[in-house]
Amino acid sequence: MARVVVLGGGIAGHTAALHLSRMLKRSDEVVVVTPNSNWNWIPSNIWVGVGKMKTEQVTFALGPIYKRRGIGYEQALATAIHPEGDATHDSPFVELTYTDPSRSGEHGELTYDYLINATGPKLNFGATPGLGPDGHSHSVCTSGHAVEASAALRDSIARMKRGERQTLVVGMGHGTCTCEGAAFEYAFNVEHEVRQAGVRDLADIVYLTNEYELGDFGVGGLTFTQQGFQTTSKLWTESLFRERGIRAVTGAHVTAVEEGAVHYEQLDGTFNSLAFDFAMLLPPFRGVDLKAFDRQGDDIGAELFAPNGFMKVDADYTAKPFEEWRAEDWPRTYQVPRFPNIFAVGIAFAPPHQISEPRKSSNGTVIAPSPPRTGMPSGIMGKLAATNVAAMIEQGDAVRVRSASMADMGAACVASAGSGLRHGSAASMTMYPVVPDLQKYPGTGRSLKDTFGEIGLAGHWIKLALHYMFIYKAKARPGWHLIPE
Amino acid sequence: MDHTADDIASAPLPTPATLRARSSLLVQLERFLAINLKMAKIIRKEHH
Repeated sequence: MARVVVLGGGIAGHTAALHLSRMLKRSDEVVVVTPNSNWNWIPSNIWVGVGKMKTEQVTFALGPIYKRRGIGYEQALATAIHPEGDATHDSPFVELTYTDPSRSGEHGELTYDYLINATGPKLNFGATPGLGPDGHSHSVCTSGHAVEASAALRDSIARMKRGERQTLVVGMGHGTCTCEGAAFEYAFNVEHEVRQAGVRDLADIVYLTNEYELGDFGVGGLTFTQQGFQTTSKLWTESLFRERGIRAVTGAHVTAVEEGAVHYEQLDGTFNSLAFDFAMLLPPFRGVDLKAFDRQGDDIGAELFAPNGFMKVDADYTAKPFEEWRAEDWPRTYQVPRFPNIFAVGIAFAPPHQISEPRKSSNGTVIAPSPPRTGMPSGIMGKLAATNVAAMIEQGDAVRVRSASMADMGAACVASAGSGLRHGSAASMTMYPVVPDLQKYPGTGRSLKDTFGEIGLAGHWIKLALHYMFIYKAKARPGWHLIPE
Repeated sequence: MDHTADDIASAPLPTPATLRARSSLLVQLERFLAINLKMAKIIRKEHH
């Protein structure tokens, strides 16, 4: 009998747990440790943030699903890993602090044979003074945040209906943020809502981003063919900004947010401010506060985690200049080298470096999007870890495990630009691979056949279909495992 | 110097015909199928 502990119940962790529940024997055990009681389809938080969906439409309780699938569930926060056990434990174990209301604050320990770390990000609002719902801006990172953002947006629209001009700022709250695609989506959904409300002429909408140029999306931008020419996501995105009348500030590191004003530094070294009536600024991410100790109780956190708190896996973390970055730098199995029974997937693994070219302002401030590893790649990594753990349990740890590098992995993304079955629109994109491989695809680093972008109503239908499909899958309804990640 | 405002101002605008196509039910139904096929191709690469 083996016990697999999955830390985190988001896209990567939940996917891993569900697949393990069908891959392992009944005598094996899968336990999910997550501080949250609900699963959240985060891509649809955008629509909660503009009032088009309710929290109940993007979340559901995890407990009943895990009970039905025979998966153990501890509503708790993992605080420390002991990969070698300790003086009183022969087996490796994790320390927990329960968030379950019936055991709130209680300390616990859980031994494991295999550990999948899918803890996702810590929303690091603290990196920028005044950033976030506890400060002076909104967020759509959780459904609760999105509900608050929606209420504030409604308030701004009501003011415009009374004839007041409003400045609505949407974007990234720090120079090292990731998920530019989500901020892009929210900016265009806000524009769509304001237009639908008939007050577009009173809204000044500004997209404030750490991207060097529009269309970067944290993946260094895309090149694709259109009507016989190669075009770029930069030109394509700028066209959309022009068409919809949204202003943009690029290469920006937000230094502080105060009531009604955001302050930022740009790559050219200038410091600027922007007054706003409504602001949705995403936080930077860092790894969750997880510690690690060896058998003697010595802290081995520096060995297991990168300085940003994400877990180091089978990547090449050697510091090297952008020109020397290679596809092979990226992890293939997501195993921790010293402890191959530990995997880190989704946002929890430490990328070897950015995907977009990193830049510094003339003052030395790093303004560089962090690599996205959410959505489809997260699900694929979760399933990969489950498949490999199941193989290791069945055939022994020496089994040849499967690999799925982001440099050999594609992604399909749909960025909403406005909701509505008849009047909605979205930018549909595919890219292959996510991490450019200039050796394999000289010039652009990606396959031109498999990288494309298109704007239209069909994209909205696809995003809506994905919403229902992935919630169906996450609820483990009949045939769920046939739906790809 | 941030050139983004100038870049946006000089970006190509879609023609009225393109805008109509982007919201035409008939055209978009065809695009829905075509985009799904493109995405399915990417997904197949992951699962084989």
